[in-house]
Amino acid sequence: MSFLTGPMHHHLEGHKDLTAHKDVLILEEPDDLYIPLVNGRASCTPLVQPGDEVKVGTKLGEPVDHWYVPVFSPVSGTVVGVEKRMSAILKPTDHLHIKNDHKGTSVRAFEPFDYESATREEVLEFTKNAGMLGLGGAGFPTFMKYSKPENIDLFIINAVECEPYLTADYRNSMENASLMKAGALALLKLSTAPKGAIAVKEDKHDLIDVLNKTFAGTPIEVKTVKDIYPAGWERTLVYLLTGRRYDRLPAEAGCILNNVSTCIALGDAMINGKPITHKYVTVSGDGVKDPHNVYCPVGTPSATLIKACGGYTAEDCLLIAGGPMMGRAIPNEVFVIGPANNGLTVLQNKEYKTVKCLRCGRCTETCPSGLEPVRINQYEKIKDLDALKKLDIMSCIECGMCTYICPSNIDVTEGIRRAKRYLTLQAKK
Amino acid sequence: MKLTFKPSPNYRSSQTTTGIMFDLTVCLLAVTVFSVLYYGVNYGASYGLRVVIMMVSAVITSLIVDAIWAKIQKIDIKEGILSSYSWITAMILTLIIQIDVSPYALCVATVIAIVFGKLVFGGFGQNIFNPAAFGAAVIMSSFAATKSADFVTAATPTTTAAAYGWIMNTETFGSYVTQYGGLGKMLLGWYPSSLGSTSAVLIALCGVYLVWRKDIDWRLPVCYIGSVFLITTIIGLIKGAGLWYGVFNVLAGGVMLGGVFMVTDPVTNPVSIPGRIIFAVGCAALTVIIRLKANFPDGVLFSILLMNMMTPAIDKMFDGNQIKNAADFRNKTIICSALLALVSVLVGSTVQAKEVVPEPAAPAAVEGSLGSIDFSANNVEVTEVSNDGKTAVYSCSADGFGLMNNMGAEYGRNEVTVTVDVAKGSVVSVALDNFGDTAGIGDTATSDDALAGYAGKTLNDSVDTVAGATFTSGSVAAMVQAALEAAAK
Ligand code: SF4
Ligand code: SF4
Repeated sequence: MSFLTGPMHHHLEGHKDLTAHKDVLILEEPDDLYIPLVNGRASCTPLVQPGDEVKVGTKLGEPVDHWYVPVFSPVSGTVVGVEKRMSAILKPTDHLHIKNDHKGTSVRAFEPFDYESATREEVLEFTKNAGMLGLGGAGFPTFMKYSKPENIDLFIINAVECEPYLTADYRNSMENASLMKAGALALLKLSTAPKGAIAVKEDKHDLIDVLNKTFAGTPIEVKTVKDIYPAGWERTLVYLLTGRRYDRLPAEAGCILNNVSTCIALGDAMINGKPITHKYVTVSGDGVKDPHNVYCPVGTPSATLIKACGGYTAEDCLLIAGGPMMGRAIPNEVFVIGPANNGLTVLQNKEYKTVKCLRCGRCTETCPSGLEPVRINQYEKIKDLDALKKLDIMSCIECGMCTYICPSNIDVTEGIRRAKRYLTLQAKK
Repeated sequence: MKLTFKPSPNYRSSQTTTGIMFDLTVCLLAVTVFSVLYYGVNYGASYGLRVVIMMVSAVITSLIVDAIWAKIQKIDIKEGILSSYSWITAMILTLIIQIDVSPYALCVATVIAIVFGKLVFGGFGQNIFNPAAFGAAVIMSSFAATKSADFVTAATPTTTAAAYGWIMNTETFGSYVTQYGGLGKMLLGWYPSSLGSTSAVLIALCGVYLVWRKDIDWRLPVCYIGSVFLITTIIGLIKGAGLWYGVFNVLAGGVMLGGVFMVTDPVTNPVSIPGRIIFAVGCAALTVIIRLKANFPDGVLFSILLMNMMTPAIDKMFDGNQIKNAADFRNKTIICSALLALVSVLVGSTVQAKEVVPEPAAPAAVEGSLGSIDFSANNVEVTEVSNDGKTAVYSCSADGFGLMNNMGAEYGRNEVTVTVDVAKGSVVSVALDNFGDTAGIGDTATSDDALAGYAGKTLNDSVDTVAGATFTSGSVAAMVQAALEAAAK
């Protein structure tokens, strides 16, 4: 924190003990899976027909444009067809319905790949074909990030997992350290950076031990960050590790980042020839009876996961895809776990009493983007376009901090979304 | 089973606005309790009770106003009170006024502070002026006449300092500050002032608590109090007043109370951090300028009200991304703060010390019976106003400290009206008509209490003089003597 700005972050109560140290629940694979045919932004064209037999690892779909992230089958069984289902962004989306035959027969999707002997271009090509994408939630195709790295001096692996409740990355890293190592070193090679850092919260002592052992003798160093939110956001993490700020891309600060589960997934693909077919998903919160990390196939409906964790604890709950800060509350249980989902947070629906804004400025002090949420809300109410333009609203990442911190319980973040929509609308006119 | 949709985030910190107000209430209560103790112990139970009555009546008034407002707004009364927080305004208002303000005036000011200082702007969160400062300004400008003579205390450090012109050389300061038991005692707070600003230490503790609870931004009290200290220390050095000067300015009057409870009012200060720093430095600069130049008893309230008017402009100045504009914002903050402090120092150092020294021992010892003392140096004049044989009324005037010592043009003769019981040859009452000596020093000898002490005295009785105001005491005694002698003729 400096004298002239606030800390731009804040410690949140994590509630991570609900799931962190429990054994992972291996989900009995459901009979019906619905694989979203959308990855990140691009939709895929299915490569299979209704009635086709598929195996674990069969390529099911491939996007047509450059946003290339293919989709693979997580189970063996029969393709039923393409169905429209509500997705986690509340849009009806194409899903490929597969009937599970529970035989688990698989094909090896990729040949074993040795990143050490391969050239950088070969590693890049492999990453693309393996359907690797940012698993921290952004869903950005990994190969695109690494296509033209320039002046990168630090490769950062993000194992911070700063959203409350979520521990899926933590469990995944604890259990798959060797895959992580392979993936991380391959990505380090792609990044052209001379060294790497894996960032982890300072209070996760056991994980720090594991990581220290795993990366001993490699150019990747374990770096701890404070238990603050949003330490896992790219800009904040780059700032915490290097003290540098950047305008648009981390590359401007000489950094390139990837989530730790992306490293593990890449390791899995290289060593075991397995695409992203299964996920560690944290099902936690005060709204679910038996919080757990669940290992489940991609395409599992959320209702199945909730049932596996004992069901709801209250009559009125919020079912959130992701953590409670940035995750969206979804008013139905039909949405499925996609490759980039790592948590379901279930909270009892509580009413908060809202009072008037007391102009305390706490939102301004903690906003990681350096914005003034209170001013944005003020001007949004009176629709003062010129003032809003000055406030740099589009830099808001909707991290939710301003609503979290607001002592008057105002939906500050939602006001900023309104302001964004208003600005976009005005720009179109 | 129902799944609800709400916009993210669905996670909230446990700190609430009502919680912040509760913490504030606790601190204000602590300050109130100290005040009750101070006045109760030093001036008697009735004084302590007075503080309690003032606080309770102001708070009840505020609750009634909020309740009525809630009714007008057609919201639940409890909800209305709990989302308007006017009792805080009432408490602060009570703590920044002095004990001689009548509870009636206080209640009227509370209503005005809440209705015109807050509710007409749209209620809590919308007001421009700090409502408590607003209310105190109302009391100062409209209710000066309703001050109750039943509750007098020794002169407060700020009124006395105002009498000196707010600047003194080291020796003068020495004798001045001993009246209040020295700076150390002022720090602990055993001296008369506004109800709440007696103990600097207690207020500082409240500040630490509020900062620890994250209820207020530490930068505000630190910048405000720190700037008052720096500016006055520099002025002190320029004027040869000595290093104590900064400390004194922080401890005297409302600086500590204002710094912890009023400058920090989030509603009326800017929302951005650089803005708040400029706000605090601005308040400090104005506090010093008002103290030294306007020669008011204190500048804290008006400085806050003035800076409140600047808040919207300051907010505008720092609109934008704080990271991308960091260098620009930093420069603005440094330049504005430095300019404000500089102006304050420059204005402050043009102040001339008034040549005031506490009155030395009177030349004629006021000892023995009243009739036996030689008051010829006082040049007493007596005019008979009426005399019906039973009671006689005399209008008297006499030279006091100022004229006897040639102190200058602002001094004049002291004048009293003495009513005498002709048959008994004793005083019925003495009333002050004009006071020509040093406000804050000599006037202890002409306070209603001191004058009441003459009732029943004859020429054969001895009279008391008031320490530190011997000249003024002497002139009053001279006039009483002259009136009694005139009646005896
Ligand atoms: S949601 Fe946007 S405005 Fe609010 S704290 Fe996060 S980045 Fe800042
Ligand atoms: S945190 Fe809430 S109450 Fe405080 S300034 Fe921001 S919006 Fe207003």
